[in-house]
Amino acid sequence: MITLGIRTRSLVLLAIGIAVLIALPLVVKSSFAIDILIRILLFAFIGTAWNLMGGYAKQLSLGHAAYFGLGAYTSTILQIDFGISPWIGMVAGGVVAMLASLPIGWLCFRLRGPYFTIATIATAQALMLTFLKFRDFAWGAEGTTIPNLGSAPLMMQFETKAAYYYVGLGLLAAALAITYLIERSWMGYYLVAIGEDEDAAEAIGVNAPRMKRDIYMISSFLTALAGTFYTQYIYFIDPATAFSFSISIEAALVSIVGGIGTLWGPVIGTVLLETTSTLLQSWLGSSIGGVQLTVYSLILMAVILWRPTGLMGMISEAWQRYISRKPARA
Amino acid sequence: MWETVAQAVINGLLIGGIYALVSIGVTLIFGVVKIVNFAQGEFVMIGMYISFFLANQFGIDPLLSLFVSMPVLFGAGVLIQHFLIRRVLGPNDMPQIFLTFALSLLLLNLALMLFTANYRTVHTSYSDEALHVGGLYIPVAKLIAFVVAMALSGALWVFLHTTDLGKAMRAAAQNRDVAMLMGINPNRVFCVALGIALALAGAAGSLLMPFYSAYPFVGQVFVLMAFVAVVLGTLGNVIGALIASLMMGVAESLGIQYVGADSGLIVVFAMLLLTLAFKPTGLGGGRAR
Repeated sequence: MITLGIRTRSLVLLAIGIAVLIALPLVVKSSFAIDILIRILLFAFIGTAWNLMGGYAKQLSLGHAAYFGLGAYTSTILQIDFGISPWIGMVAGGVVAMLASLPIGWLCFRLRGPYFTIATIATAQALMLTFLKFRDFAWGAEGTTIPNLGSAPLMMQFETKAAYYYVGLGLLAAALAITYLIERSWMGYYLVAIGEDEDAAEAIGVNAPRMKRDIYMISSFLTALAGTFYTQYIYFIDPATAFSFSISIEAALVSIVGGIGTLWGPVIGTVLLETTSTLLQSWLGSSIGGVQLTVYSLILMAVILWRPTGLMGMISEAWQRYISRKPARA
Repeated sequence: MWETVAQAVINGLLIGGIYALVSIGVTLIFGVVKIVNFAQGEFVMIGMYISFFLANQFGIDPLLSLFVSMPVLFGAGVLIQHFLIRRVLGPNDMPQIFLTFALSLLLLNLALMLFTANYRTVHTSYSDEALHVGGLYIPVAKLIAFVVAMALSGALWVFLHTTDLGKAMRAAAQNRDVAMLMGINPNRVFCVALGIALALAGAAGSLLMPFYSAYPFVGQVFVLMAFVAVVLGTLGNVIGALIASLMMGVAESLGIQYVGADSGLIVVFAMLLLTLAFKPTGLGGGRAR
């Protein structure tokens, strides 16, 4: 019998997974289902971006909507006012977010723990208020629709939802690859050390402020890409959607429920939460406000009280039990 | 000119009294239990709904419903500490932050489901009354709220400084390990701290009801203000939080007067960001943690 090493086996699993994900839109034709899949990809992507800083370095931000919104607005302003393709605008938005993370980080990293979290909330809200106030350069509270060009792949506009699915899949794959590389680099170990005990990490020579700054820049850059993608997908932008607090919440939530500081945690968390939310909506309809977040908060509390390692923790425990039950091979 | 400023300062001080009740709760929990209660604003909201329903169903004056909202929320605080917060106390920040954050989300969205997003108001005989002192205008409902808020803050100060339980709480705030060695039961002290903090939030809710609308998101306004005031007044410092809250109220009111009606929140954020940039340890000094 051929015994595959763990590494080969996981590579095979990964290949199968990728094949299934690529083939999915060919099988799933319902636009409702594709819509849910795109939402899952989007939030898994945002969660993965959040997890880089919130998960590994334990800098628990609840202000990632700031970068989502900056990305969305940068690409939209470039597209509408200057006719620049959102593909370029997406990268420009990422750079804007990265630059914005420097002063925001400079302010927020002065505080630790819960007060860091509060400061990040405040910065995101302050940005939203700014975009609400200054209607001259960003359409104020009414927002604006993105001109629909029909099929224009170069302007990130597609006729089929499947195309958006592939863009989302590409983004998520890139974010996971970045996480994988960082996780195995010196930077990843430094970040985990900072997350475990910042003072101790500094005592053994980790440059904590620099590490936190760098990971915040990477995390902001990625989050901004999601902003552009989402705006292009829904053809609409306004401060309340682009800087929505619920984006900040969901970014953190999917990571914590799935498994904070793990590669696959945000993905698994998003699948669970988005599926739950869809089922709830089909049962209750979307007429009653607050149902989705009520259930999310109950799930979050349950995870924190009983399984702080999230679903990934449960999976790896089950895997350990499965392995130890197997008789040893000669 | 002089009167406009004085009027704005008075308006600010009056609402600052309410902010103080919320901030003192946040800072008390932070000082004693060493966690930040993200759900504090939602308990103000619950206090408001308690007063609203008592007034609406039984015609009880919101100020009298203080005697219902405070004990109910005290009990809620004890239960929340004993069954939820106690389980996440430890060196790890994540569960502490996200437990109270989840609680905030839960209460807010439950309120949204049960009471809808409608604004609820209670009209009392003194809601429209006002005193006129030398050209200045002082609404009676706000004045009562301010006086009761200051009385409650004073009572808390007396409690913390004269009773054994109060002293035990201050001891636990200063050094938890040594306090335990002195025979102080930490969970009991924490339960009382949570109870008092939530009762103050409930009081704030009841006091607000004669002149403010209740809606599910109402707590967010107050909790944000409280977080800023608590940083400004040095974390864990009750007097600092009180003074900072009054300052926040005045700053917000001056902002509304001179910058624009919807600029209250911008002033708050500006104050928070300025504090973080230049004085992250708060005005009273001390450590930023």
